[in-house]
Amino acid sequence: MMDRSELYLKMYRDMLRVRKFEQALEREFKLGNVPGMLHTGIGQEATMVAVAHSLRTKDGLFPDHRSHGLLFLKGTPGERIMAELFGKATGVCSGKGGSLHSADKSVNNFGDNAVEGSFMVTALGVALGWQMQGSDALAAVMLGDGTAGEGAWHESLNLAAAWKLPVLYCCVNNGYAISTPVGKSHATGDLYKFAAAYDMPSVQVDGNDLMAVYEVTQKAVEHIRAGKGPYFIEYITWRWQGLFMGEFRDKEEVRYWKEVHEPIKLADEDMLQKGIATIELLKQIENEVQEEIESWVTFAKQSPDPDPAKATGNVYVGWEVETR
Amino acid sequence: MSKMSMVQALNNALDIMMAENEKVYCLGEDIGWMGGDFGVTRGLFDKYGPERIRDTPLSESAIIGAAVGSAMVGMRPVAEIMFADFMGVCYDQLVNNAAKVHYMFDGQYKAPIVVRTACGGGFGGGPHHSQMIEGWFMNVPGLVIVAPSTPEDAKGLLIASIEDDNPILFLEHKALYSKKGEVPEGKYVTPLRKARVARQGSDVTIVADSWLVHKSLAAAEVLAGEGISTEVIDLRTLRPWDHETVLDSVRKTGRAVVVSESPGTGGLSADVSAVIAEQAFGDLKVAVKRVTALDTPIPFSVILEKIILPSEEDIIRAIQQIYKQS
Repeated sequence: MMDRSELYLKMYRDMLRVRKFEQALEREFKLGNVPGMLHTGIGQEATMVAVAHSLRTKDGLFPDHRSHGLLFLKGTPGERIMAELFGKATGVCSGKGGSLHSADKSVNNFGDNAVEGSFMVTALGVALGWQMQGSDALAAVMLGDGTAGEGAWHESLNLAAAWKLPVLYCCVNNGYAISTPVGKSHATGDLYKFAAAYDMPSVQVDGNDLMAVYEVTQKAVEHIRAGKGPYFIEYITWRWQGLFMGEFRDKEEVRYWKEVHEPIKLADEDMLQKGIATIELLKQIENEVQEEIESWVTFAKQSPDPDPAKATGNVYVGWEVETR
Repeated sequence: MSKMSMVQALNNALDIMMAENEKVYCLGEDIGWMGGDFGVTRGLFDKYGPERIRDTPLSESAIIGAAVGSAMVGMRPVAEIMFADFMGVCYDQLVNNAAKVHYMFDGQYKAPIVVRTACGGGFGGGPHHSQMIEGWFMNVPGLVIVAPSTPEDAKGLLIASIEDDNPILFLEHKALYSKKGEVPEGKYVTPLRKARVARQGSDVTIVADSWLVHKSLAAAEVLAGEGISTEVIDLRTLRPWDHETVLDSVRKTGRAVVVSESPGTGGLSADVSAVIAEQAFGDLKVAVKRVTALDTPIPFSVILEKIILPSEEDIIRAIQQIYKQS
């Protein structure tokens, strides 16, 4: 068992890995090296790290579109995630999934489903399958606040509660579904209240306070592993990424979340104050992480493009489709 | 062999597969102690219990989602969607999830699910309980669509579908549920993607599926009296369908009538006709003819519904017409 300081430092390092991964991606995206669309999780690192540190390899993960960090935190080598986002042959899905569909069966990552909220019902099945097989594994689902408007969201919560399924709902409320504030498009902006109506434990927590997020998530997984059914956590956080046309939010709001209530800064200050780390150590961690992430970028850039045969492969199990 | 209705044959197939493999389980609305809206799971609840014959709420998305997720971790779910018309509710789960998990994750996962559903019209079910819906799914790579026309095939195809590793939409026509036929005892498999020559003939080929196989056979019988020898192909698997059996027959007869209970626009009948035209044009004595439902929703009144759906007489007329032209 890691002691608390050790755990804190490890999780801090992981937050930095997520941050630097996303920043490298943004840079490469602007350079035209990353195809498609890019949704980053900058600002939401604490939630991802706490969830990753609460799951075992056998537990299932349904990452959402801002969860690139979770993809490698779940155990997949980071360079294979980076390569997937570059659409390369060495990617975890051979370049067929990309940012929005990176799954890794070897670590029970079931991949994102880019139809928001849709995989909330898939997670039911994973949890049901494991429950029927007598496993104590759980399925963790990452959801944005915008998914709360989807029918699958409500079908999932209802059935998970009715069947006492081992599902951990990690609702990352970053305030906006693209441009629409959460409170303006739902009956309530406090999404944990929806889950409470489905008769499951449901809490709201400051999603930028790393250790608080970790404690809450630990409590939830213990509840689920004890066979008591699903648990819903609403992490209040904020995404740095604006819209494709730029920043749309109030200046003071942006300043607060980027400069005051910012997860890495909060952890920095807290660790220095508690004597868990020194400025030198934090700088050293940052340098190590930067080097690690850049090595993944190099790997992705140097990797070959997918084999053309992959385009028509694995449509059906056991049957080939016609080629031109 | 024993005489069984299609409902009994399907029930028998589920029973055999559930007894053989504990990973096989059923889920759907009212399939438990009630045995399903059409009785297909009758008796299985008492035999296998509520875990494996699992009643669900009216949540079609959750039914299919749960089926897919459990299949991704090794289960063999057989989901029931009470009426095919309700597929609209879980369309996303089938099209964007079940059909794609194998492809988009490059083979790491598979979704061996069977989705059974009651389809088709002819009984005054109205606009939301009468449709043939294979056309909604024809354009979805990764999905398999199966439609048996006899109790024997229903059992063999359902067993094959449960054993297959692909997501399968299994269309059971309501008009065929009580129709009886000889069914072999025990476990056997009717191969997927393989059409059946339901009647041999030399002058015209009819390509049909499900309920319309029976109307086509009745039409062929009438035409035989007029000296026209009609071959009837029962597609059995509608996607991907068996090009070879259809093309072999058309090359032999030189005439093709494609019948379908769905509207013709963009549907299976359009695809079959296009493939015949592309690949057997030189063997055709006359243009392909289609007999399909009219391009409308299904009305409630049985009188009106009869106008919309293709009848035995429509098939006879179509064949007489192309026979005269060539």
